Amino acid sequence: MRQRRRAVAATLLAAFAIAGAGPAHDWADAAPAALRSGAFDPPRAAPDFTLPAASGAEFQLRRHLGKVVVLTFGYSSCPDVCPTVLAELAQVRVRLGAKAAQRVQVVYVSVDPERDTPARLHAFTEQFDKTFMGLTGPREQLEPVWKAYGVSVVRKDLPGSTPPTYLVHHSASVFLIDAAGRLRVMAPFGTPSDDVLHDVRLLLKE
Amino acid sequence: MRPLLALPLAGFVLATAAGAQDAPIVVEKPWVRRAAAMPDAAPGAPSSAAGYVTLRNRGKAPDGLIGGSTDVAERVEVHETRNMSGMMMMEKVEKVELPAGARVELKPGGYHLMLVGLKRALTPGQSVSLTLEFEKAGRITTRAEVR
Repeated sequence: MRQRRRAVAATLLAAFAIAGAGPAHDWADAAPAALRSGAFDPPRAAPDFTLPAASGAEFQLRRHLGKVVVLTFGYSSCPDVCPTVLAELAQVRVRLGAKAAQRVQVVYVSVDPERDTPARLHAFTEQFDKTFMGLTGPREQLEPVWKAYGVSVVRKDLPGSTPPTYLVHHSASVFLIDAAGRLRVMAPFGTPSDDVLHDVRLLLKE
Repeated sequence: MRPLLALPLAGFVLATAAGAQDAPIVVEKPWVRRAAAMPDAAPGAPSSAAGYVTLRNRGKAPDGLIGGSTDVAERVEVHETRNMSGMMMMEKVEKVELPAGARVELKPGGYHLMLVGLKRALTPGQSVSLTLEFEKAGRITTRAEVR
């Protein structure tokens, strides 16, 4: 009995020793502030860009400081991956509740400038959530944005299709940019939407 | 009078149930993704939508999903999305293998049906008729909910 008690005390002491070794505030911070999707550590400034919005206005990332920007890339003729991502992000906004969702802006940048007219992209995004902003424009304008976020875009012809058509292979990660304009998360396709929701909530609380 | 009418009906229900139980291929949870009407659709950009379903092969022989059809699109193809280190690639496949006893899920980001050349918008809450074609089991028609 006494031996066992001593063993417990020794374990506790060891735990304190480890805790005491590091800066105490790190321990307090790390637990609640852990992002669950792929976190950028340290966070870096999100590359700024200006693109025509499908609504007709111009979108500039920098003007959305104060909001959490959810940035993702896709195209309106994409039947599987893109609707899945947008449907999940629409769910994230619903689950946040109306008040918190007001501080979350979903931005959808086209990877298919030749087919994605503003009207077409708008029709595509608004069926999931009317607040989603679709951005499209000439290839010369879109390409630097793809590059800045490391998004690969490859056009692939669909054999045997009449009229000839093509798919666009692209990275379908979701980027989270905090209210201070810092790139915080890159959630790869397939990240559970619970994790994305968790991370958006966390960034809203900062 | 009533029992006479009810009897043939009961017989019909039993026969259908027995038929479904014997069928080796079971089609579960079919749904298709919503698709808004596209303004100024560019040529070569037919509106398309993905369809998803869970397939079970309860038979003793392998089978395969090879295609399908629906009255809301020009054709139905079988596609597969693959994730190549973050890059999502989609390709047409000839067949989804259904080994004996297998349960195969067609789901977002994996195997799916592609409804090519939609004839109308697909709005959540609607349902569409979807026929799946199997190598051995032939055609099975189901109704898929639009989500």
